[in-house]
Amino acid sequence: MKLPSTTHRARPGAPGGAAGRPAACAAALAAWLLAAGAATAAPLCDKSEIRLVNSMREIAQPYHANLHKGGRLFAAWAGIEPRYVLQLNHGDSNKQVSLMRGVLSHNPKCTVFNVEPNADVVIQPMVNVASRSGAWIVSHWAHNEGLHPFDGNDQWIAHVAVNSLDAGVSISRRLVDAMQGKGGIVALQGRLDTDPARKRFAGLQQVLKDQPGIELLDHQTANWDRTAAFPIVQAWLAKYGPRVTAVWAANDDMALGALEALRAAGLAGKIPVVGVDGIPEAVAAIAKGEMTATVASDAYYQGSIGLAMGVCVLTGKIPLPRTWPKEQREFYLRLQVITKDNAMQFQGDPQASAYASEWDCNKLWSRSTGKAF
Amino acid sequence: MNPRRLRPWGPFAALVALCVGIALVEPRFATAQNFFVIADRCAVPLILAVGMTFVVLQGSIDLSIEGVMAVGSLAMAMLVLNSRTGFDLGFAGIAAAALAGAGIGALNGAVVTRLGVPSFMATLAVWSAAMGAAMFMSAGEPPLVRDPALRGFGLGRTWGMPNLALVALLVLALGWVLQDFTRFGRHSLAIGGGEELARLGGLPVDRYKVLAFTFCGLLAGLGGALESARIGLGHVEIGVGQTFTTVTALVIGGTSIGGGQGGVLQSALGAILLAVLANGMIFVGIAPPIQKAVHGAIILAATLFATWHLRGRLRVVQ
Repeated sequence: MKLPSTTHRARPGAPGGAAGRPAACAAALAAWLLAAGAATAAPLCDKSEIRLVNSMREIAQPYHANLHKGGRLFAAWAGIEPRYVLQLNHGDSNKQVSLMRGVLSHNPKCTVFNVEPNADVVIQPMVNVASRSGAWIVSHWAHNEGLHPFDGNDQWIAHVAVNSLDAGVSISRRLVDAMQGKGGIVALQGRLDTDPARKRFAGLQQVLKDQPGIELLDHQTANWDRTAAFPIVQAWLAKYGPRVTAVWAANDDMALGALEALRAAGLAGKIPVVGVDGIPEAVAAIAKGEMTATVASDAYYQGSIGLAMGVCVLTGKIPLPRTWPKEQREFYLRLQVITKDNAMQFQGDPQASAYASEWDCNKLWSRSTGKAF
Repeated sequence: MNPRRLRPWGPFAALVALCVGIALVEPRFATAQNFFVIADRCAVPLILAVGMTFVVLQGSIDLSIEGVMAVGSLAMAMLVLNSRTGFDLGFAGIAAAALAGAGIGALNGAVVTRLGVPSFMATLAVWSAAMGAAMFMSAGEPPLVRDPALRGFGLGRTWGMPNLALVALLVLALGWVLQDFTRFGRHSLAIGGGEELARLGGLPVDRYKVLAFTFCGLLAGLGGALESARIGLGHVEIGVGQTFTTVTALVIGGTSIGGGQGGVLQSALGAILLAVLANGMIFVGIAPPIQKAVHGAIILAATLFATWHLRGRLRVVQ
């Protein structure tokens, strides 16, 4: 089905970030209110009743801190900041569910949860709580097999999945480009018993299939760990010498460990290195020209898009999720490849204007790359 | 030939056999460049093994070294020129990290001797507390080491030899002197051989125990700081896996976990053997999923080979 279109909508996300100014913000807000009046579905809640909950592990690491910042940015942009709630489970799955129950004692039907699951298995009980109480939920990353929003889970608005194979393919393409189609790669894998480690490496193998000039010299696991990556890369340099012309790593931490081993050999910045995650140190290394690329799921976006979906549903600007096609209920997130060309954009905290166009009720799926799983 | 004379040569023979075996499969293993790579790899494990040796010689164990390394790593990174704090102590930052480690080691010793908690439990508790302290210091924003002289030292070489390996050699020499030429070293062996006898003989057993834990902590703090100088970051997980590696190195080298047998040179051999093994597996090209299994099998074989002579009469293997 088609989504109902709303009338004119301000685009605060226009290039240049002009919307960061108060006047433009006010215009955006006015447009929002106008649009609410023109919606096709009846509003379920008044905006003053809507409560936004961001549920995540902690906020000590950069990734999680940015999830929270993204959520708060959206809440302020939508004018709901006083009713934005942050829930931290500190790695405890049971706590993540009980925190959710706790807040639902009051006004559950106008409450939206944006969930970074502590573990895949936590999504099922949280969806159950939502179904019983009438609260709304959007989940991220991965969930257990055989569980889908479109299988009668009407309160589960959507699941925004991350495609690790895609991440592996993206950085591998950049690496192959930097090598100009010839040379030797050494690859640092993550923990071999984890799904992202296997899929990211499969992405590398997929890209190398079409690259006859490039040889995968060796691959070893450094368990996602920077310190462990260092001696492995040193051993490779001793074994293969100048045949090593590129380093592939399944995460940025190992890529940065590899970079230090290259630095010890006087090769930092001379051999392309790629990683995954987009941690600030890696972005800085890319800006400096010592790393070639990394790929990020964009924590600011993940921390806000579920809340935006919930607000659009509750204010009636889009129909109820149970009427959406499957690919809108469960989709892969387009990942952001960070290279020297755009590294500047990813340094420091963004403004709401950078995301406003994607929070628009008509463009909630602008980063979807299609049906997930 | 007297088997007692052969005793120290077991681990050495195992090391030589391993090197020859790897070099036969992959000649590129036996190059000067790779010798220095192995030296760099075993530098920190060797330092840790020297510290642990005295504790184990006395019949105790120190399971806190990963936590101490984490504190040493963050203390160093936050006291030298870095991305988080305003300090700029230069190389004194490494000394400060080692002192912090010595402090935690002294705490280990105090808990074991004054409170009578078995070293296994006492140091496990201190490990956990030290990890917590390191996480608190890290605060989700790990400090980057920005002192160019320190980074240059951590990654650099002198006369071809990695600087960290030179530090390890100095520490080994210090450990050897302590062991063979001081009362502390000789009495440590006596304590491990029979603590009750040593007490009856009037040895200040508790004082030597505190000293051994303090020395072990000092070297773990130093190890964490050196690793951070190399990697360029104060990192909570800088020592992950090192407790197990260190204990393995000691046993392979022929230092008895029961105490009273062994020494720093044997432990150093064990640490070198493990580094050669890890490096060699990359050269031989053993697939990552089966490396763990090969690692286990070779450790078992090396331990048997290196410690067969210890299976003497009347000796119970536990």
